Amino acid sequence: MTRQQAEQKLKSTFGFNEFHDNQWTVIDKILQGQRVLLIEKTGFGKSLCYQFPATQFEGVTIIFSPLIALMRDQVQKMQDLGIAANFISSQHTEEENNQTINDALNGKLKLLYIHPARMENVKWLETVRDKNFKIAMVVVDEAHCISTWGHDFIPSYRKIVNLVNLLPLNFPVLATTATATKRVEEDIKAQIGKNIISIRGNLLRENLKLYVITVQSEDEKMIWLAQNLEKIQGTGVVYTGTRVSTEIYAKWFEYLKIKSVHYNSGIDTETKKDIEQGLMSNEYKCVVSTNALGMGIDKSDIRFVVHTQIPVSPIHYYQEIGRAGRDGKPSHIILFYNPNDDKTLPLSFIEGGRPEIKKYQRVIDAVKSERLGLHGIIKATNLKQTQVNVILADLIAQGIVIEAIDRNSKKYEFKFGSPALDTKSFEELRDAKLKEFDEMLNYLTISTCRMKFLCDFLGDNLHKDCGVCDNCRQKNIQVSVTEDWRNKLADFRETYFPILEVENKTTNLVNGVAASYYGISNVGQALHRSKYENGGDFPDWLLRLTLKAFYRHFGKEKFDVVLYVPPTESGDLVKNFAEKIAKSLNFTFSNALKKSRTTQSQKIFQTGLLKKDNLKDAFILENPNQIIGKTVLLIDDIYDSGATIKEIGKYLSKLGAVKVAPLVIAKTVGGDL
Amino acid sequence: MKQHSEIPYWITLAHLSKWGTEKINRLVVKIVHDNQMSLETFFHSENEWKDKFALSDTDILDLQNAKSELPNNAFLAEDLLSQGFEVVPINSPEYSKTLKANLKLKAPTILYVKGNKQIMQANSIAIVGSRDADDISLQFTDNIAKKASQQFRVVVSGFAKGVDKQALDSAIQYKGQSIIVLPQGIMTFGSGIKKYYKEITAGDVLVLSTFHPKSVWSAGLAMARNPIIYALATEIYVAQSSESGGTWAGVIDGLKKGRTILVRKPNQNEKNANLILIEKGAKAVDFEGNAIENIEVVEAIEKPNINGTSKKNEIDEVIILLEKQTLTPKQILEKVKLNMSDKELAKKLKSLPNIQTVKKSNKIHYFVKQESPTLFAIK
Repeated sequence: MTRQQAEQKLKSTFGFNEFHDNQWTVIDKILQGQRVLLIEKTGFGKSLCYQFPATQFEGVTIIFSPLIALMRDQVQKMQDLGIAANFISSQHTEEENNQTINDALNGKLKLLYIHPARMENVKWLETVRDKNFKIAMVVVDEAHCISTWGHDFIPSYRKIVNLVNLLPLNFPVLATTATATKRVEEDIKAQIGKNIISIRGNLLRENLKLYVITVQSEDEKMIWLAQNLEKIQGTGVVYTGTRVSTEIYAKWFEYLKIKSVHYNSGIDTETKKDIEQGLMSNEYKCVVSTNALGMGIDKSDIRFVVHTQIPVSPIHYYQEIGRAGRDGKPSHIILFYNPNDDKTLPLSFIEGGRPEIKKYQRVIDAVKSERLGLHGIIKATNLKQTQVNVILADLIAQGIVIEAIDRNSKKYEFKFGSPALDTKSFEELRDAKLKEFDEMLNYLTISTCRMKFLCDFLGDNLHKDCGVCDNCRQKNIQVSVTEDWRNKLADFRETYFPILEVENKTTNLVNGVAASYYGISNVGQALHRSKYENGGDFPDWLLRLTLKAFYRHFGKEKFDVVLYVPPTESGDLVKNFAEKIAKSLNFTFSNALKKSRTTQSQKIFQTGLLKKDNLKDAFILENPNQIIGKTVLLIDDIYDSGATIKEIGKYLSKLGAVKVAPLVIAKTVGGDL
Repeated sequence: MKQHSEIPYWITLAHLSKWGTEKINRLVVKIVHDNQMSLETFFHSENEWKDKFALSDTDILDLQNAKSELPNNAFLAEDLLSQGFEVVPINSPEYSKTLKANLKLKAPTILYVKGNKQIMQANSIAIVGSRDADDISLQFTDNIAKKASQQFRVVVSGFAKGVDKQALDSAIQYKGQSIIVLPQGIMTFGSGIKKYYKEITAGDVLVLSTFHPKSVWSAGLAMARNPIIYALATEIYVAQSSESGGTWAGVIDGLKKGRTILVRKPNQNEKNANLILIEKGAKAVDFEGNAIENIEVVEAIEKPNINGTSKKNEIDEVIILLEKQTLTPKQILEKVKLNMSDKELAKKLKSLPNIQTVKKSNKIHYFVKQESPTLFAIK
């Protein structure tokens, strides 16, 4: 097909007059059955490079993408153009997904978008190997995810790489990404192989105005944002370093009556979807998020991206700010940097990204002795799920462990004759990451063009400055903190209480509240003194703070009875505290809740699964009939994984309690499962 | 990883539905041996198919159709490999040499395996027998498996009930190594892999299948698997056979091909066809698997009724022939079409207990001992 012929078809199918030169270069190669890696910035029109060929080929083009929201948008666009396209995702019902798969099998689709994790789905695998399933082309979207050298390695991409290597010669494959360093580019080429050609555009984003604001404390970040966020036009995203800080920043904005919401991987799918939709329709001034948000958001008019924490590398940073200003209009990109404090978190991500080697051995031993599922491994090793996930991904990549599928559930097997664990690659990777972090630190202190610095890092040879960053315009932002703002922030801190999310469908538990976060304020120290340093009862100011939290969350609500969580080791502290709470609120106090058997301290268990096992059926209520039809306020000192509260809530609900509401002094940061 | 890219081509070729194994293997020989080509190169040089590979138009059409399945088979191969299965093509040094030597061009084009592939290279025996074998046969199986394991010989079995299962379990019990030859596709064997997980990961068991990985069990596949079991072993022990069914057919076939088949000599009142097999040329062994010379079959046998099955068998045809006349092996081969040379036939005939020889004009002629009651039955 000549370019002229193709553009005629483009006009009739897509309504565009012509391709950009680079687009045609790619499409021409794809139509000839070649393999192409396309590195182009956001907004280039990468998707047309496979959408157009897909409409010309016989059979279905399969697009692997990790971004559900993006798939949804693309499918909508295709359907609007009258092109048969659909996507399979965890957000559809099984019936809907099966229907889509069958449509593809029956030749009713031209484009099928699918998440890489779907390569583990039995129905999908059974259908796609059916010889009647005509596959025209495979597209690997966000191809940097296949490289562990990249900023966003996704283990399920491993299967995509394996697949692409098995696809026949002369079978068109397109891999696309907006962000790849030279090293990642070479890695992708080596992995996808078979004479792949890479085509790289320039990565300069002229409409992004880059700023770095140097501060001396977290307070200065919060105050500057409070003073200026409303002054920046449009809707944007504030990225923070941790899940907890998403909540704190969002509550701070809320306190200031700035419409915002927090988003992180701990939030349930339904709520996430609502937030994403809210962001799309400019319902918020900003969404405060960890890096969990963004990959899937195809919003062209994000007007600002703020980072309250420095990312671990310039490529992470380029990727995250790349979500702003896709429409080409000016957008503000702000990065806060506190030289006193801000290196700790990214360094801990780099250093802590990999569990210790002996933990790898624990997983290998567990899998050698028994064929286990994920939960089985967590229980057998007493390791956190996040760590087990990292370890398994590495062991699978090294061919030591096999991920077998047993009736739709995953089982991990040791592979006979597999090589010994290669730890050298881990060290190389860690060293490379530390070097990248050094480059990130350089970005903060340079006095030259910031965009040029980022583009150079990505392997782009930009010969001019952006002209719009703070350094180019020589306009560096300073923070001014007034007494008035300091007071406002102090007032916010004293009136902000973390929510305990324990509600579920099977019990009568309702969400409760904590007086503070453990480890963020002086509350943690006070608790520690009483519990472990013979400091006596919890101090009265903790009681007042906890009562304040109660009123804030529950208002004037009355409870029939106050129970407390029977302790494992710290004596009568909680009992005395609960008694004082009951007295202050004028509720009935009871110490009828006991342990029916000895349990171990929850602290020794690294994983929520074992914590849950430790407590299963461990509680008993004396005179259980007294609880029927009653509402319960359940007191504890520290809330960690929530396993204790949930177990008691389940037990009391079964006995007939109509409501169980937790009230605790401090909620820990983190928690697993 | 490099050679993995060949796997979808092997799968595609090996399961070419209209072609038999032999035809496929002949093409494989032309590609990888005669032309030193990879399958990938072959599949992508269609213009040479006609001349270089002398393929007919129909064959070319079949191959073109198969070629369109390559992307689908890439998905299948990814699934297979990621679940720890491996594909061993016939030209691989990892392919069982015993199997190839025994079956030649009829050897499976590819093997699907999981576990320790090295086991395929070890000296091996097969133990076969009925699904509903008697205790004595199971005990015999245990004895043989024990002896084999002590001698570092691999036990090949078919994962059926009875003797197969006993052979496997005993080999495991005596810390020996085993090959399980599946009557189904390897990806449908989840429960077995679960059950023998420890042995597989320890390198003591190799699971092997020659069928499409997703094929479910069928009687047909179970029958088709038997020759693979026999061919994977250098010696075949028969614990118990009836006069029909898989074991019987397998042994008869094995004898025809001149394989070493060792049949447990039954006790007086056992009701099975072991003695008939011995009579047909299998070697008798005792309860411990030791060879028994000069077995007296005549009195031990109850009149067997093998009229139905015997005629299908070529060796039986020879015996019937030799009841009426005295012939040299060469003369026999002119009358009965057999897949063996005259020397092999001579050897075979000598191994049968009821055949006698006479030298005429300097050539050895064979005939059947007429007084044998067995042969009256055959008449």
